[in-house]
Amino acid sequence: MITCPSCSHQNPDGATHCEACYTPLPVITMIDCPSCGASVQSDASFCGHCGFDLTAKTTAAIIQPQQEVSEPLPSPIQVPEPVSAAEPDPFQPVEITPDDLTEIITIPVSTAPTAAASPSSNPKTQLQRITASLLHVQTNVTLELPNNLQVTHLGKPNNLIPPDIDVSGFPDSDIVSRVHADIRFEGDAFYFEDTGSSNGTYINNVPLPAGNRHRLRPGDRISLGKGDKVSFIFQMTE
Amino acid sequence: MSVNLNCSLSDRNLDISQPSSQRQLAIRVSASTNADSSGAPLNLCLVLDHSGSMGGKPLDTVKKAARELVDQMYYTDRISVVGFDHKASVVVESQTLDRPESVKDKIQSLRATGGTCIDDGIKLALQEISKGKEGAVSQGFVLTDGENEHGDNARCLQFAQLAVEYNMTLHTLGFGDHWNQDILEKIADAGGGTMTYIQSPEQAGEEFRNLLRRVQSVGLTNAYLLLELPANVRLAELKPVAQVAPDAIELTMQNEGNLIAIRLGDLMTDIDRVIIVNLYINHAAVVNQSGSIPVVTAQVRFDNPVMAKSGILSTPVVVEANLVQNFQAQVDPQVQNHILALAKYRQTQLAENKLKQGDRIGAATMLQSAAKTALQMGDEKAATVLQTNATRLQSGTELSEADRKQTRIVSKTVLQAPSNS
Repeated sequence: MITCPSCSHQNPDGATHCEACYTPLPVITMIDCPSCGASVQSDASFCGHCGFDLTAKTTAAIIQPQQEVSEPLPSPIQVPEPVSAAEPDPFQPVEITPDDLTEIITIPVSTAPTAAASPSSNPKTQLQRITASLLHVQTNVTLELPNNLQVTHLGKPNNLIPPDIDVSGFPDSDIVSRVHADIRFEGDAFYFEDTGSSNGTYINNVPLPAGNRHRLRPGDRISLGKGDKVSFIFQMTE
Repeated sequence: MSVNLNCSLSDRNLDISQPSSQRQLAIRVSASTNADSSGAPLNLCLVLDHSGSMGGKPLDTVKKAARELVDQMYYTDRISVVGFDHKASVVVESQTLDRPESVKDKIQSLRATGGTCIDDGIKLALQEISKGKEGAVSQGFVLTDGENEHGDNARCLQFAQLAVEYNMTLHTLGFGDHWNQDILEKIADAGGGTMTYIQSPEQAGEEFRNLLRRVQSVGLTNAYLLLELPANVRLAELKPVAQVAPDAIELTMQNEGNLIAIRLGDLMTDIDRVIIVNLYINHAAVVNQSGSIPVVTAQVRFDNPVMAKSGILSTPVVVEANLVQNFQAQVDPQVQNHILALAKYRQTQLAENKLKQGDRIGAATMLQSAAKTALQMGDEKAATVLQTNATRLQSGTELSEADRKQTRIVSKTVLQAPSNS
């Protein structure tokens, strides 16, 4: 059930235009809360059931290394030597006093945050992130979205908000504003947002009003400014 | 004479990764002219309001416009004139136009007096039209300037329905600012006719000419759109079919076996009727080798008044969509414009409903979205009217009767710049 933001008509699932007033409908996806498992909207900040902070993705990363640390726990007792070679640095002090079982349990718990703090040391602790790219239609150039950014700014060089993706090199870039739009990564999806450009943004040839968000799906056509002159196809690679 | 039937989907491609997709189907229907067959003669009835409020200039200009109308008709056409105040009377009995001067003299003899009773006028018109309906295109023009104070609106609509059964199309003309746009719209919509707003008496002649041009281009009558949906396609739950051009009209449908029948009314030779059908397509259906998936089979059933044949079927048109892997939205710009036209009408309707319930702020917001929709489809005149009214509501002033009429008209039609006239 999708409620129309404009006229409150209840539309069946799968509707993209409101049946009553033909307003384009937002695409809502539900995700499971990582803490309590309740179903919540993917763009929500907090879980409505348990209050879990959905914006803090690092908390999800902490849960993972704890499970991994607990698995090799029995091994230091039985075969201490091969583990010491494989273990990363934080476990070095553990190897010195492996005789007391209570010590072994307390130490990994205390070192767990440090393991999470340096995720580069262990590739499994980092969240798998989907990378996305924009294919510029007119020149067939592919631009990768910088994949460490929550918000990617699109535009041309300026003093206020320097663009992460600079389109000033493309033909007809004079119709693109210096601060034109943002691509946000939230939940597991990318959202496109016009940040008050002069000539507007068109998603699949339909104008995107300033302040409205569009959930990007692979294949969406994004045109900056009028006339379909600076256009990108949104692409995702898992 | 045959039928032109064109179907296009809002987007031919469907995303294979989704379980189902919503699509709009735009169907354009018109009568096609062959060089060897001329159109059927017209069987026209003018239903003219000569109540007291029409006195003076209004009735004079209407009589003048009606006389000019007679001059523009052919000698093979039939005409009748019904005048009504709080009672109705036949002014000109149904006759072929052999002696236009006597018809014009009788029109001239109308005097302004009394109240308004539209239903009696329509009732007599039905009688007069039915005298000459064989082999002709039956049309009625209903002109009024006031509320149906001596009549019953429900009875009015019953007569409008009866006209549809008799295969007559009623067009309504609202004169001045005090008529009831809800009733006149419903009378016109019942048979796929059009509603016209004559704001000042001077426009009467022009509007009569436009309307006559439209009814003279009617080639085929009593057309039904027949749709056959495969099992994987279903219609939207709310108001799935509507006409968007030449006027926005909510259409009703009935089931005939496994077919869905939608009455369109007359088919014109030079104007397309455009119907939008809102569909959900389930992708699970059997896909043939080319990846295409059947959506709908459309057909038109119509009467040809010249050959006095009814229930003729056009060649069916099969609409298909493609399931694709790397889906890219490719919206058909023409269909998109038709959808926007429907959006504009629906949003204005919602605004008017909100206004009736006393929700002024909600109505203003809705009118504003309608204005935006009008801008998107390039209908700047409608956008101006809608935005002005939205601003007026926001600032706390009431909408005048003229504003309400104008709003209704701009929401129903796309006002075109005066062309070749």
